[in-house]
Amino acid sequence: MAADDALLASVAAGGPPVLRLYRFDPPALTLGRFQADTDVDRAACTRLGVEVARRPTGGRALLHGPDVTYAVALPEPPGVAGRVDDLYRYLADGLIDGLARLGVAAGVACAGGPRGPVCMAAQQGADLRVGDRKVCGSAQVRRAGVVLQHGSVLLDRLAFDETDLVRDPGLDRDALRAATVTLAELGAPTEPGTVATALAEGFAAALGVSFRAVPGLSGA
Amino acid sequence: MNLPENLRYSSEHEWVAVDGDRARVGITDFAQDALGDVVYVDLPEVGASVAASGTCAEVESTKSVSDIYAPVSGTVAAVNEALRDAPEQVNADPYGAGWIFEVAMSDPGELDGLMDAAAYRALVES
Repeated sequence: MAADDALLASVAAGGPPVLRLYRFDPPALTLGRFQADTDVDRAACTRLGVEVARRPTGGRALLHGPDVTYAVALPEPPGVAGRVDDLYRYLADGLIDGLARLGVAAGVACAGGPRGPVCMAAQQGADLRVGDRKVCGSAQVRRAGVVLQHGSVLLDRLAFDETDLVRDPGLDRDALRAATVTLAELGAPTEPGTVATALAEGFAAALGVSFRAVPGLSGA
Repeated sequence: MNLPENLRYSSEHEWVAVDGDRARVGITDFAQDALGDVVYVDLPEVGASVAASGTCAEVESTKSVSDIYAPVSGTVAAVNEALRDAPEQVNADPYGAGWIFEVAMSDPGELDGLMDAAAYRALVES
């Protein structure tokens, strides 16, 4: 998360836009910028070997591990005029294009969907769905004319999930599974490198940019 | 878009209501509409020094965290504590119950650098 904050600072200082694709090992539960610490069951996280980190972006708790996480930092594009929903839609084009390269037909979730302390159980205009099930959750921070957007694409599931790690999650495991869908369940490729490549190609095509690969960047 | 004539406006979409050396600050109707539903306001500390155009608060809306800037320099003299429990007032009543903080101005001359309603309207409609 600190690395992503550095991406935002780099772009704000005039650096080029950056797309970072990464995974968490061991798994980690990330909290939104202003989410209450009391939402987290720290003992459960310790027992299950899950680290806890706080994102600079908004939103609610998300378990990283069975996913590919992306972070994209770029100057706020002209034409968006500071509208949060427009900015999400602008970047959603890249994600939708990337998922389409994996054979997944995703769409933008409805703005007025369910909310709660678990990111993946909620749907807003920031998120992507297949049918009515969430496949990708995203959140942003905007600072000094730059937007940093984080998101998570579900590849598969672990033996535990946010309902084991968040106090009063507002739903049980079956309900969370019913509200979400993974690439594995969709029959799509789940090899992380393949998914990361597809997402990078999707962002490049949708945003009309090309990315220069910087392999080996690591650190959450 | 509601733009009261008696206020001054910043290019960062804050409004300022002046009472003596006090400046009450909030975000404009245009800004609250662009942000969407505000779910959290991170208020500045009373007594904190703020610089014109510097960041002094944050809001979260639709999982997006955005900076709020100080339109004038000075010391934070008051914050709207009611927003801790009712951040939606920023959307519902941006020029009234949705005010965010007050600054004891160190340089009231900075107000001359802010816009009137007509100039701000021209900015956001351009």
